[in-house]
Parts: sequence; C-alpha cells; structure tokens
Amino acid sequence: MYESTWIFCLKRIFTLPFVLFGVSILTFVFIRFVPVEPAEVILRLARVAPTTEAIEALREELGTDKPFILQYLLWVKGVVQLDFGTSFVSKLPVAQELLAKLPATIELAITAFVLILALSIPLGIISALYKHSIIDKIIRFFTVMSVSLPTFWLGFILLYLFSLKFGIFPTNGKGTLAHLVLPAFTLALPTIGLFVQIIRSAIIEELQQPYVKYAQLRGLKNSVILIRHVWRNAAIPLTTLLGMTLGNLLGGAVIVEQVFSWPGLGRYLIESIINRDYPVVQCYVLMIAFIYVLANLGTDVLHRLLDPHLMMKDRRD
Amino acid sequence: MRLTKYFLPFLLVLTFSILAGCTSSEQEKGKIASKAKTEEKMITVGWPLDAGPLNPHTYLPNQMTAQAMVYESLVEYNDDGTITPKLAESWDISEDKTAYTFHLRTDVKYSDGTAFNADNVIRNFDAVLANRDMHSWMGMVNHIVEVVKVDDSTIRLQLDEPYYPVLNELAFVRPFRFLGNNGFPEGDLTQDSIKAAIGTGPWVLTDYKKDEYALFSRNENYWGEKPLVDKIKVKIIPDSDSISLAFENEELDLIYGRGIISLDNYTYLKDSGKYQTATSEPLSTKALLFNTQSGPLAELNVRQAIQYAINKEQMVDSITHGTEKVANTLFWDAIPYANIDLAPILYNPEKAQKLLDEAGWTLQKGEKIRSKNGQPLTLDLIYIATDAIQKPMAELMQGELAKIGVQLNIEGADVMVGLQKLMDDQVDINFWRTNGPPTDPHSFANESATPNASGVYEAKLGLPNAKEIDTKIHQLLVGTDEEERVQLYTDILSMFHDQALFYPISYETNNVIYQPYMKDLAPRASEYDIPYAQMNKEN
Repeated sequence: MYESTWIFCLKRIFTLPFVLFGVSILTFVFIRFVPVEPAEVILRLARVAPTTEAIEALREELGTDKPFILQYLLWVKGVVQLDFGTSFVSKLPVAQELLAKLPATIELAITAFVLILALSIPLGIISALYKHSIIDKIIRFFTVMSVSLPTFWLGFILLYLFSLKFGIFPTNGKGTLAHLVLPAFTLALPTIGLFVQIIRSAIIEELQQPYVKYAQLRGLKNSVILIRHVWRNAAIPLTTLLGMTLGNLLGGAVIVEQVFSWPGLGRYLIESIINRDYPVVQCYVLMIAFIYVLANLGTDVLHRLLDPHLMMKDRRD
Repeated sequence: MRLTKYFLPFLLVLTFSILAGCTSSEQEKGKIASKAKTEEKMITVGWPLDAGPLNPHTYLPNQMTAQAMVYESLVEYNDDGTITPKLAESWDISEDKTAYTFHLRTDVKYSDGTAFNADNVIRNFDAVLANRDMHSWMGMVNHIVEVVKVDDSTIRLQLDEPYYPVLNELAFVRPFRFLGNNGFPEGDLTQDSIKAAIGTGPWVLTDYKKDEYALFSRNENYWGEKPLVDKIKVKIIPDSDSISLAFENEELDLIYGRGIISLDNYTYLKDSGKYQTATSEPLSTKALLFNTQSGPLAELNVRQAIQYAINKEQMVDSITHGTEKVANTLFWDAIPYANIDLAPILYNPEKAQKLLDEAGWTLQKGEKIRSKNGQPLTLDLIYIATDAIQKPMAELMQGELAKIGVQLNIEGADVMVGLQKLMDDQVDINFWRTNGPPTDPHSFANESATPNASGVYEAKLGLPNAKEIDTKIHQLLVGTDEEERVQLYTDILSMFHDQALFYPISYETNNVIYQPYMKDLAPRASEYDIPYAQMNKEN
C-alpha cells in the first residue's frame, strides 16, 4: 500500500518540471503582450518624459533589448541555478523580495483556512441535520450571500461596520491579531459559503445510506454515527477541495491585501504588473504554480489515505 | 481517524479564542494609539506607495514626497514662480550665461553631523553625471561640461552653451539633491544604491518597514526653522478608499495631495462638516491632446469644433465637485512666461456645427454622424481605466459630441497605453497633463520639440507651423536675452493655442483634508513638497 503511494508521488513530482516549464513560458509570453515596455513605463512613472537615449540606456540595462528567445534562455539559465533575476524597479534579487513578502500572505491564507474549517464544518453539519428548518434556511441564506458578494465590496462593508461603526478593528496595516481578523475573514467568507453547501449536501446524501439505518438498528448513538461514519465518508470529497483552497487563498489574497493594506505578495504583484516588472511577475507565477502543484499532490495523497477504494483501484490496474 | 473526534471541538475552541483575542486587543486600535498621552507630537498620514530606498539621485521606486523630506536643493522654487536661495545662499551668472557660481551656506550640517561643503557638492554632482543618459530628460544635464570647486564654500557649474532654466531644474526634487559623505556606497555608484539616507533636510528616516510605514523624526541638526512636530508617520495604504476610511476612523491626521483619494470621497468627507479642507493654487493642467498626424483631427476646424461643443464649465464642476478650476489656457497664470492674453474658446455648440459644415463634414438626411467624401466623422479617445475623473469626463464628452454629429469612441486602458498609441498614430485623442512646477513651461517646450514619450512632438506633426514652433523652442532654450525669451514663449504658446492642439480642461490642485485638532494648513502648489515642517497639531 505504501509503495504504491510512493510511486504515485514520484510520478507526480516527475511531472512538476513540465508544469513549471509550461507555466513559465506562458507567463513570459503573456506579460510581454501587455502594451508599453518596462523601460518606458519605469521612466514615465518616475514623472520624467523619457528621451530616446534614456529609454535605450535603460532597455540595455534591463536586458529587454535582447531577442525574446535569448531573454527566455537567459532567464531559464538563471532559474536552474536558483537565480530568479533582479527586479527592474528595486534592483534587488526577486527571490529575496518575494520571500520577504511570502510570510505575510501565508499568515493571511492560513488564518483564512482555519476560519474556513472552523466555521464551515459545524455550519454545514447543523444545516444538514436540521434541513428545511428555520436554522437551515438562515445558514443557507448567508452562504448564498457570501459566495455572491465581490471581495472588495465585502471588505469595505466589513471595514465600515467593524472599524468605523463599532470601532473594534483597525482599518489597515499589520502587526496584531486585531489587524488580521477582517482581512482573513474577508478572504475566507466566499469559501465558507461554498464549503457549507458542499458539506450540507454530502451529509444529507450520506444520511440516506443504508449503513446509517443499520447502525441505528445496532443501537449506536446518533453522535457516534455522525462523527465516526457519516462525517468520515462525507469528508472524503472535501479533501480534494482543501488543497485547491489553500492555493486559491494564496493566489486570491490580491484584492484583500489591497483593501486592507496588507503587505503581502498580492499587493506586490499588482504593483509589479503596473510597473512591468517582468522578473517579479515571472517568479511570482512560478512560485504560486509550484505551491499549487504541491498542495494538490498533498491533497491527492491525503485523499488516497482516507479513501482505500482509490488504492484498491490502483492495485487492480 | 480518531483525530476527527477531537478535530471539531479543537477548531471551535481555536476560532473562539482568536475572536476573543481580537476584541481584547482593542487598545491596539489606531484611534486610541494616535491619541496616546505622550509628550511627543506625531502626525500620521496615508500614502499609496512605499517611500522607497530614499536615494536622492534615482527615480522609481523612490517617492518624491519622501525624498523631499530628507534632501534639499541648492535653490528653491516658490508657488509664485520665483526662485530663492536654499543650500546656496547666493549665485552669480557669467555674462555669456554659461557659468553659474554658487556660494554655499556655511552653517549647514548633514543629519549625521558631517559638514555640507563644496567637496561634498561636487561628489554629488559627479555621482549624478556618471549616469547622464538616465537624467537626459533634464535639459541641463546635456549641457553641463563640468562642476568645479572654487573654494570650500563655492562651486562653479560650467555649461557648453547658455541654457536659461538651470535654476528651475536645480530646484527639482531629483537628481540634483545632496547626500552626506557617509551615505555614499563604494565607488560612489549611487545609481545602484546608497549606504544610508543622510540629507540636510528637516526630517530623518528613523524607522521603516517596507510597504507598511516610514517614520521620520525631526532632524536636530537642521539649519533652517525646525519642524513644529517631532515625528511624521507615513502609513502605506495602497487603496484610495481605504485611505479615506482610515482617515474617517481617525487613524490618519490628514490626507494631502492630488488624487490620493477620489474626489467623491473628498466631497463626502468635506460635506460631513467634521473636518477642515484646503486647496492649493493650481499645479498642473489636465488637457486633451489631439493627434494631427492623420484623420479628421488634421483639420483645424475639427479640433476647434470639439472645443466649442463641450460644456466644459459644467463638466469640470460636476465631475471634480469644484476642487479643480476650469482651464482655458494650457498653463496657469503663475507659471513663468505663461501669463499671456489668449482668447478662450467658450462653449458654443452652434459655432461648432458651423465650423464642421464649413470644413465639409456635413450631416446627411437621416444620418446621425457627419461625413465627408463618404468618411464618417468618428474619433477614438483613450482614457486611463483606473482614473476616477478621466472616465466620467470621457463619457460626458462622448454625449456632447454626439449632439453635433461626431462619434467619439472611448476606451479605457492601462496607464500610458493611450499615449503610446497616439505616438504610433493609432488613436486620435488622449488625456494629457502638464508637468507642473518647477520645470514648466520649459520642460513642456523641450518635450514638444523633440521625439520622446510625452507625445506632443508626434501629435503636432500635422500642424502647418510645426517646424516653426520647433525652431522657436530651440531659440528660447539657448537664448540669453530675457525680453526675447518672453516674446518667444508668447509666440509659441499662442501658436499652440491658435492651432487648438490641446483642449485645456482643468487646473489640478493639491487637496488637503485634516482633522479638527490640526492647526491651519496651507497646501503648496507642488507635486512633491509637502510642508510637514510647518504643520502642527493641538495637544
């Protein structure tokens, strides 16, 4: 059993370089589709009307005067040696800059992740157990609302209510737990809504399985049936979603970071796209792709461990 | 799977403890923190971008407003267009106008206590001039032959030919500002990085967290009038709505600048009656730039008709809520050489129609768009998609022009895309703005006569007198006779005005909104100079 999981992992890890290669070439091409090139943007944003000489000089310095293929090969050569280039704007190594901002984004994503689990599991179970009751209706109303609200709007509504009206949380910045609550909650809310709906229907479906009746007949307590049997089966499809969610939270913090002035990766990405800071965008996308692939792999492994059917299927194959 | 049993209760406990932890940390809140009973006076402001490495000789990602707090220039440009001494207490200009001798102040010390003198000034000039290409946008850089020390407190700047705006350019926030000797990196390569931000200005950077805040403290060695408060905290808040929320939540003492918050938010805060506001004199002009290279805008009548067709007064007033003044000429009167008598083009849709009829752009029966030789009168305009003013203005103009039979297609795009397309002759109209003091109007003249990314050179290629304008601009930049210069500027600005190459819309201002406990604030008409040193708040 362990052997096949190991082979499964190795196979997936083997595909990683190909995924990253594909992602990198796409990013490399797409970022260059954005009109107006870096040398000019950088000079323009510095509020100077750049002369042809200044643009040429900067282009040469940035290396964007070289043919596309050569730029890509030089970049790949660097990446293989773990050199992700230097930022066009700050002139600091890109990897260093991104790694400096990663912890803030991870902090936000993990907190949101914990909130998602802590809120969606009990709400989903309650909603399923009391289906069609008033409680279920209230929960479902909120879940539908939370999935349909745009993040920036939600962020500002929360800021308005909890900072301005009730004066509980600060409006911006980072440092204390109080700073973390609103951004994490804003990031988590849409996923909470989604998860509550999924958990609710998964549990309702499980509750209709014959084994539940059988267990009740055996005289098992309802709580035991729920936690040991129903929840366990219902949770399996959820594990697949969890991996995706963590990736989504890391990548999706962009707007939340902007609204709450959270000094993370997302904000840096927006700034870098505006500045046409190619090396930053390339490294960011590569890093997020890497995390996505690993998170997915982790989920798949977890999924296999939780659901023996999958392993059996592998053996039969 | 035993874990599942404990998982749920564990998570619940965790969630509640997090929430409980938060409410108890209410004391952390800015509202209370900013009113802490300390002896120190601190002013907190919000700014959308990080201060940057505070390198006086480079551009992005350095914020001009932060550079101006720490570093100073030899001379200062004032809101009324005059130039007064700063680090240089006086200067002489040679008869042939190619040599500028500056007498430096002798009582100036850097924030680290080291002396400001001729050697240090030369070292700064050399570091900047080692990177001439980068600074070539500044006309003076292309004319400097050498900068030499005359004595310990005197330097001489030698040019190859006369270039009258030397003092204006020296007053600019970068690159000619001065770094203390201990701030220089090895090899004096300041274009790459500096060792420490040591300046002569009223403020010193004392604490900094990238993308979070920059804390400036009073420079105790400051030679001039000392700042009234001890500290300035610049909080980095990228979103403009978040800045106005933070202000409303009393986490900020003031919001200062042009376009830092949307004018809607500004008006909302102002109308609440809880805060005080002030508006500076105009600093720059918002305008439309017409591309005359090809298409209908190559015709003067069409350019003029557009200007007559739009009710500018109403547009500026309704969209900027009165914070910007209507502009009828390209430059505000206080801009040097720009106070000239030009007949404004005032709203007159009938005249607009007449001009188009005369030019052969006529309305056929049953048609809504004018045409000439089967060619419909359609124009493309690009605005910056994220700009809260350009978009509604573009939409309003679209409606106004439809009334006279002109179809205006509008498209939102990223910053600079429009300008690039205009230079490539792919779009007809683009929003455009002047640079503002201290480099206007000569930087405008410079940019109009040479191909560069300002777009004016390309846009004016279709004008019948484009060559003549270029010649006059060259004459005025190297000319030495003041009277002649005044005449040349009058000629050039009149030609641009008569040719209706620009459609001046409004004069942009710095708007400041501040908490009631702040003492009276007078904003300056400068893009980078925020008068923090003169600000004060009640205890």
